[in-house]
Amino acid sequence: MEGNFQISKTTNLLRRIKDFTRSILEDLAEGRSPIISINRFRNYCMNPEADCFCSSVEPKGQEILTLKKESQTYRIDMLLRVLLIVQQLVQENRHASKRDIYYMHPSAFKAQSVVDRAIGDICILFQCSRYNLNVVSVGNGLVMGWLKFRESGRKFDCLNSLNTAFPVPVLVEEVEDVVSLAEYILVVEKETVFQRLANDMFCKMNRCIVITGRGYPDVSTRRFLRLLMEKLQLPVHCLVDCDPYGFEILATYRFGSMQMAYDIESLRAPDMKWLGAFPSDSEIYSVPQQCLLPLTEEDKKRTEAMLLRCYLKREMPQWRLELETMLKRGVKFEIEALSVQSLSFLSEVYIPSKIRSEAISP
Amino acid sequence: MLRFSSFFYKCRLSEDLCRLSILLDQSTDRNPPITSILIADTGIGCNLEEFQDLRCPREFSGAKIWDGLLSVKTTCITEDEVYYFHVNLDENISNKRLKRQPSQAKNGAKFSGTEVSLSVFGSTDVLMAPIIGFFQKMLVLQIPNVTMDLMVNQGASPATQTQYVFVVNSDKTSCFTASNLERLKSGLEDYVLRHENCLDMMCEHCFSDREHLKVGSGTACTEENRKRTGGKMEVVIVISDLLETTRQCSRSCDGKTEVLYFENFSPSPIPLVALIALKKIDWKSYGLILASVNDQDGHVFLEWENFPSHVQIQIALHWYHNQYPTRQKTQLGINLVKKGIKNALDDLKAKHEGFLLSSHARKICSYVPDLARSIAGLIFSSTDIDFQGDCLSVLGFQPQEVERDAVEDYIQRKIVTVIGMNERKPQKDQEAAPFLFFEGESKTSYFEDEEIDGEYFSTSLE
Ligand SMILES: [Zn+2]
Ligand SMILES: [Zn+2]
Ligand SMILES: [Zn+2]
Repeated sequence: MEGNFQISKTTNLLRRIKDFTRSILEDLAEGRSPIISINRFRNYCMNPEADCFCSSVEPKGQEILTLKKESQTYRIDMLLRVLLIVQQLVQENRHASKRDIYYMHPSAFKAQSVVDRAIGDICILFQCSRYNLNVVSVGNGLVMGWLKFRESGRKFDCLNSLNTAFPVPVLVEEVEDVVSLAEYILVVEKETVFQRLANDMFCKMNRCIVITGRGYPDVSTRRFLRLLMEKLQLPVHCLVDCDPYGFEILATYRFGSMQMAYDIESLRAPDMKWLGAFPSDSEIYSVPQQCLLPLTEEDKKRTEAMLLRCYLKREMPQWRLELETMLKRGVKFEIEALSVQSLSFLSEVYIPSKIRSEAISP
Repeated sequence: MLRFSSFFYKCRLSEDLCRLSILLDQSTDRNPPITSILIADTGIGCNLEEFQDLRCPREFSGAKIWDGLLSVKTTCITEDEVYYFHVNLDENISNKRLKRQPSQAKNGAKFSGTEVSLSVFGSTDVLMAPIIGFFQKMLVLQIPNVTMDLMVNQGASPATQTQYVFVVNSDKTSCFTASNLERLKSGLEDYVLRHENCLDMMCEHCFSDREHLKVGSGTACTEENRKRTGGKMEVVIVISDLLETTRQCSRSCDGKTEVLYFENFSPSPIPLVALIALKKIDWKSYGLILASVNDQDGHVFLEWENFPSHVQIQIALHWYHNQYPTRQKTQLGINLVKKGIKNALDDLKAKHEGFLLSSHARKICSYVPDLARSIAGLIFSSTDIDFQGDCLSVLGFQPQEVERDAVEDYIQRKIVTVIGMNERKPQKDQEAAPFLFFEGESKTSYFEDEEIDGEYFSTSLE
């Protein structure tokens, strides 16, 4: 991103915050009750009819906040508190994490989720991403492989140490000079799998970048992945457990989350491929019976609900079929179950063969 | 009926300054004591039929009339002499009841008035209380041209003579031009400031000035087509917050609300319709919870639940009508009283932001300090001086001499005003769904992004 663009974006945000403040003051001065309307976004619905508009990034509705209801007044209160902090951050070009903001008034905010919602409201209100507010989250994610970049001056030279885990950068928007010799990006759900691949020197043998969100991927990890996809134009493969939890993680990488639906475009990984594990893998790779766990009632409920999501029907019917198969078989298994025969089975057999077949298939 | 108010009535009708005097004279040697009462007014005078038709029990203001005799002197301004006669209350035949006595010539002097004297069983102590009570209430109406006084003799010596004077606050020259409602307003204020008019002057402990009182007034009339049956209702409500001033005052504040009731310029026992109306008002929408309505011989007190002990509410109702509402008109009367009180409450609410709000609005108001602090913060922490000046001028401040506290304070009051306003006129959009969104949240995700995101971190941020 160009420096000048950043500056103009910042001034723009400050100007919009000032306009907002002014309009509230004008309302109050003239005895009008201020009204704040916040667009609502969604990235999927569960309508059986296919004629929804979830694929568009346009708002799907509006919430009107006034001082007539206590719950809305509380939300406005929280919004203004956080907005005040944001204005100061942006003016002074400082950054803070959501957690930092929470700890500025823990008794007023009561919970981190309150701050998070206020940040979301502000992003929607001022039509920007969270990083524009100078609110950052320190990522949970790890990266290794054929990659080199700088984040606000700091060097991340993964190339120099191919099988070492580097933390995903905090200020993703300030990542520059990305250099890569990789052929693809591999996203793995779990840190254990990531560590296994590191131990197996996976990146030494395969020209790739490996990323993990260590479970459910946070905003920085998803944003970083998106940034790499844009800069490097590489195919992305995702490896998750064969269970509803793993599928949810896969869907979050691919389609984004409902909470951050307003900022979906900067967070999702549109062309991501599902590498595995598929329900059918248990037979193909003869996963031992004791590693196949029955789906719990909760698992089944989750899966049934996920099957209704419109984006699967619309964009990924084959993923949906796999999910249905999982439900039909009534069993789940973890990625590690594939490695019972040999510890390096994943890095030596499973992943390379899957990548190869993905490359052949259209 | 032989009532104080009938004397007062003649005074009120007179356009000149009038005086209404009562003299109580107790003969010391009698047991049970007998007191002679002299009531004199300089009002318009009366015609004799009034006394001819007087069908009153041998009783005056609760005391038995000793010999059943009234002696009456009266004259109108146009008459040359003062008529004098005796009225025998025991006489049933009305044309025999009145005995004419020799008239007195006025010798060209122009005056009018009535003087009635009678003797009753009872001591002055007993008789004084209702008379003083009547005068104290009468003062609330602030009828400017009438002064009232009471002279009490408890023996022959001047040392046993006491005089009580009841004068409408004369420092308010507007009294003569003011409307009845305006007078009732300032009259009720005075009533509060002078401890139910027990003091001659305003209590200095209570309120240094009446600005501290919160006053609201309202009127209600019956619709035109129902022609004057219900008449007109005027209501004044005064709320005093003793915390705002001082706690030195000797007055005990029991949190009860006295309801003063006047009917056609006279204090009266409160009628049933007004009692019903008091019970039917939606006090809750003004943040008040009515616990009970106590009716002690027409003196009505309202008691509140969870009411701050330092706040006192006074209500005065004045009903102008030509006739009592008949049975089928009862609902009309109830509505009239209700409407008058409601209008007065709304008036109070409109004048004092944040006051008499419902508990719902008060909950919303609890956010106001925070909201104001944040909004003021957005102004004052901005590095854009032009923007700051802009905001301050929107609020009507001069940018040079502005203190942040003053601005914050002002914003607070403005927000409270808006909240009160929202409550007064519930807009139609209020109940419209705030979610113009489809089926609401579909919580099928395992995760709330925000709960997990940033859970662990190590800040190395500068
Ligand atoms: Zn949809
Ligand atoms: Zn934080
Ligand atoms: Zn006092």
